[in-house]
Amino acid sequence: MTLQECYAMFGGDYEGVVSRLRSEKTVKKFALKFLNDKSYELLCSSLEAGAYEEAFRASHTLKGLCQNLGFSRLLESSTRLTEALRYGWSAEAAGLVDEVADDYRQVARAVQQLEE
Amino acid sequence: MQHMQKQKILIVDDSEMNRSILADMLGEEYEILEAEDGVQAVAELQKYGAELSLVLLDIVMPEMDGFGVLSVMNKRRWIEEIPVIIISSETRSSHMERAFEMGVTDFISRPFDALIVHRRVVNTILLYAKQKKLVGLVADQIYEKEQRSSLMIDILSQIVEFRNGESGLHVRHVHLLSELMLKELMQMTDRYKLSRADISLISTASALHDIGKIAIDEAILNKPGRLTPEEFEVMKTHSMIGSNMLKEMPIHQNEPLVKVAAEICRWHHERYDGRGYPDGLKGDEIPISAQIVALADVYDALTSDRVYKKAIPHEEAVQMILDGQCGTFNPLLMDCLTNVSETIQRELSNDSPDRMSQREMRNIADEMVRHEELAASERTLYLLEHERMKYRFFAQMTQEIQFEYTVSPSMATITPWGAEHLGLDELIMDPLNDRRVLSLLKEEDWKRVIETLHATTIENPMATHVCKLNNNGRWRWSRIITRSIWSADDPPQYTGIIGKAIDIHDSQTKMDTLERMASHDQLTGLLNHVSAKKQIVKRMETNTDSQFALVIFDLDHFKFFNDNYGHDFGDRVLVHMAEKLRQRIRKCDIAARIGGDEFLIFLEYRDDLEPIIKRIFSFLSGNYGNLDISVSMGIAEASLLGADYDSLFHAADQALYTVKRNGRGYYRFYNNMMRDVLSQISPIESDRELSVHHHLDESAEGAAEEEDAK
Repeated sequence: MTLQECYAMFGGDYEGVVSRLRSEKTVKKFALKFLNDKSYELLCSSLEAGAYEEAFRASHTLKGLCQNLGFSRLLESSTRLTEALRYGWSAEAAGLVDEVADDYRQVARAVQQLEE
Repeated sequence: MQHMQKQKILIVDDSEMNRSILADMLGEEYEILEAEDGVQAVAELQKYGAELSLVLLDIVMPEMDGFGVLSVMNKRRWIEEIPVIIISSETRSSHMERAFEMGVTDFISRPFDALIVHRRVVNTILLYAKQKKLVGLVADQIYEKEQRSSLMIDILSQIVEFRNGESGLHVRHVHLLSELMLKELMQMTDRYKLSRADISLISTASALHDIGKIAIDEAILNKPGRLTPEEFEVMKTHSMIGSNMLKEMPIHQNEPLVKVAAEICRWHHERYDGRGYPDGLKGDEIPISAQIVALADVYDALTSDRVYKKAIPHEEAVQMILDGQCGTFNPLLMDCLTNVSETIQRELSNDSPDRMSQREMRNIADEMVRHEELAASERTLYLLEHERMKYRFFAQMTQEIQFEYTVSPSMATITPWGAEHLGLDELIMDPLNDRRVLSLLKEEDWKRVIETLHATTIENPMATHVCKLNNNGRWRWSRIITRSIWSADDPPQYTGIIGKAIDIHDSQTKMDTLERMASHDQLTGLLNHVSAKKQIVKRMETNTDSQFALVIFDLDHFKFFNDNYGHDFGDRVLVHMAEKLRQRIRKCDIAARIGGDEFLIFLEYRDDLEPIIKRIFSFLSGNYGNLDISVSMGIAEASLLGADYDSLFHAADQALYTVKRNGRGYYRFYNNMMRDVLSQISPIESDRELSVHHHLDESAEGAAEEEDAK
């Protein structure tokens, strides 16, 4: 599978990211590295523990990563989750957590396939 | 700029991915340092200071966020030296506004674009480098200017005033006029290539224009009325004399100031039309410095009172000059004079020594405003970096724990080696409330340390504490030396301390062991005689209201044990006795082995001595294996003999001797009747009859009855 196909699978901005990071090689390197990033895990665990300030930071970091890597769909949902968590837990956060989880799984699956 | 070393950039972001994306974009050209939260960032800033060319800073981070870092950078004034670019995705305007207010240079918003990141970073670093250079230049100039002008002008004004009571302000005025006209001239034309530094140099040197007059006879200098042609010829020599004085100076000949001043001295009486003296130079053959000073000189002569004339009002004087009544001048300078005429009038009418310094201040302030803070020139920065490098090197070499504490923000930094050794971070915020910091010293040591620190003053800023320090779990004797620091403000503010901790555990332990060895009996571990005596003497000196008794005892028939069972057995008996003795005496008592089988006990007591003696005596007697052990004991009381060690010892010895001579196995108090008895410790054969009282061995059961002969 090509990088472009991979980006298509999870709704990413392939052209944008390649033009920003200058080479497909760099993009691929960081896309693969995304699987090792701990911010999603931290988001899940801190939500579970009710540590919403930490959850906000984790979500914020995840959002920044998606921005840099052009993961548009996950960026969109994580941005809304970040705002929903900015001042602690809020009603709409619950639904958004599921949305982020779905989008994240899509990215993870596609990137794993890219790796193989 | 060409540097052998790559410039350093600090990337502060809690996401490792984001850091590595940025590092990837910049890593080839720059050395990248990374920090994953604000506290680490501050630690790196503390470590590298102005060696960092740029900080890329995230806002949302754990521990300390980006604003926290900016606030520390402002407090420590790092923000003036190190540019910061925010890389947060927090682009709400309130955030951005706050960040700009805190001195941030730029924002890079996400997603990162490699070209944009690269361009912004390069631009910012270049801009700061240029600014630093400019700041350095201006700082040097201002410094020189300050040094030169005020002091020189004051001294020269005084000299001239002294020689010629009427023209004390002349030198000042010429300085001021030259400066005003030169500034104007610089605006009007670039014909003379004047820089601000040149202007400062010429106007300062102008103060010397009449220096040659100190060689002119006072009668001519201060003559009321016209000079005769002969006198005028003498007067004219002052320009050449002044110039020669400066040129013949043994040192400083090559100083720009001296060169310009010599120029001014020699040619400030030349005329633009070539009819002046001493050289008859014409037009721009006359240096612009001399032309300006000549004009200033004439104007001030016209508008001041002189011995031979009254002051002429400003407008009239200017008109006279413009009309050519006072010599011929460069037409450009005529325009220049016209342009500044109003300013001259205003400034001169206000001139006084005080005003002068205010004006100087204003000049300096103007330059300061133009170039912001002039903290230090580039050279100073370089020296500072050099010192930091040296400091770090030596700190590493010494294996000492070095630290610094600042009050605001409350923060401790520890050298890398020290931090690792103590198991602490190199940078600790709010250390006085940090559990790990507090566990470095025992509570009572902290109390002592803080007390002595509070007692330090600007005159005596040093303090030393010897105490045990928790080295990552191991308590070790350390010497902690600190120096308290105050700011240069008036009044000075206490700003923190610097200090170091030196491990003295090994030497301290060795000393302890040596001291122990020297003061204790090797076999039994009791004190030896010398150190027991020392302690006893000290005790009697300090506790003057207590009662004391000195007891000496030995083992009966000890020679018999040695002879029949061997010396090893004898030694074991001694150790056994020493152990029993240790068990029985109280903490405040002193016990020692003072010879073969002789022991000493020193007792401090309040009420009744005898029950104590009885208890000890009966406890010491008993069995060792199958053997019966009995002791003989002599006691001397300070209440009888005074608190003198030698008397007590001698008396106890005599009492013991008495016991020995009369059957052994009991105890006896010394009384005055024993005065002539011989010593047991150093026995001398004698058949002298003894006057003693017997105590039977019943005391071993604790039922002894003392029939005291006292």
